[in-house]
Amino acid sequence: MAIAIFFIAAAMAVAGGIGVVSFRQPIRSVLSLVVVMIALSVLFLLLSAQFIFVAQIIVYAGAVMVLFLFVIALLGPAKEIAKSRLRFQASLSALFVLALFGLLWAMLQGVTYRQPDKTADMSIFGTVQSIGLGLFTKFLYPFELTSLLLLVAAIGAIYLSRKEGDDR
Amino acid sequence: MSGFDAGGSQLDTSWFLLLAAVLFILGTIGVLIRRNPLVILICIELMLNAANLTLVAFSRQLQNLDGQLFALMSMTVAAAEAVVGLAILVDIFRHRDAEDIDDLSELKG
Repeated sequence: MAIAIFFIAAAMAVAGGIGVVSFRQPIRSVLSLVVVMIALSVLFLLLSAQFIFVAQIIVYAGAVMVLFLFVIALLGPAKEIAKSRLRFQASLSALFVLALFGLLWAMLQGVTYRQPDKTADMSIFGTVQSIGLGLFTKFLYPFELTSLLLLVAAIGAIYLSRKEGDDR
Repeated sequence: MSGFDAGGSQLDTSWFLLLAAVLFILGTIGVLIRRNPLVILICIELMLNAANLTLVAFSRQLQNLDGQLFALMSMTVAAAEAVVGLAILVDIFRHRDAEDIDDLSELKG
């Protein structure tokens, strides 16, 4: 059962990824990315990461994608010109991407994974409780730093998107 | 074959890593060949998602929660990156039409 769910979600994710790259209109790319994110959230659930699953749907598929949709709605439907000025860019990037994929594929061949040092209690693995415990004890310092990062990003976004000559 | 038990059936960690590699490659293709700055940002989001998948997969394989917490941090960073990137794009589009990323080349030395 889990194997069937994995392959359905993986096929959805890959189809969405191809859609992101190949659709000419940005709005279709964004909607394809939403498909990818929902498929990935199903995979997170298979990996017993319940909290990441919820965060993926709310933060990514919800907030970030809506932000992208708003910006596209704001900028208008800009269709992409297929003509590129750099002549060799497509073939060169195909070569580079093939090399990168070959590298990743080769790394996965015959790989053996380290077995868990200590077996965790799988009944609470990845729940809000265990994530919260890790976030507020072991990862407290990075957690506080992300709040600073978000503040800087919010101030930066407000500063960048202010009106011209509006210096209040 | 090294994997873990998921609801009675055995899943292999390599499958997740291979899927993440494919999604990362698709994102790379998008960044390299697409011309629209907005679509390039979308493809970067796709690559960040693929990286998140590997983090969570290793977290499950090693039965260590640190990977999931890393994934949470990278989600935050991705959200901040999207906000600032989109704000810069809106600011650029307000002054001029930039349908091709190569139009924005004034900063090169």
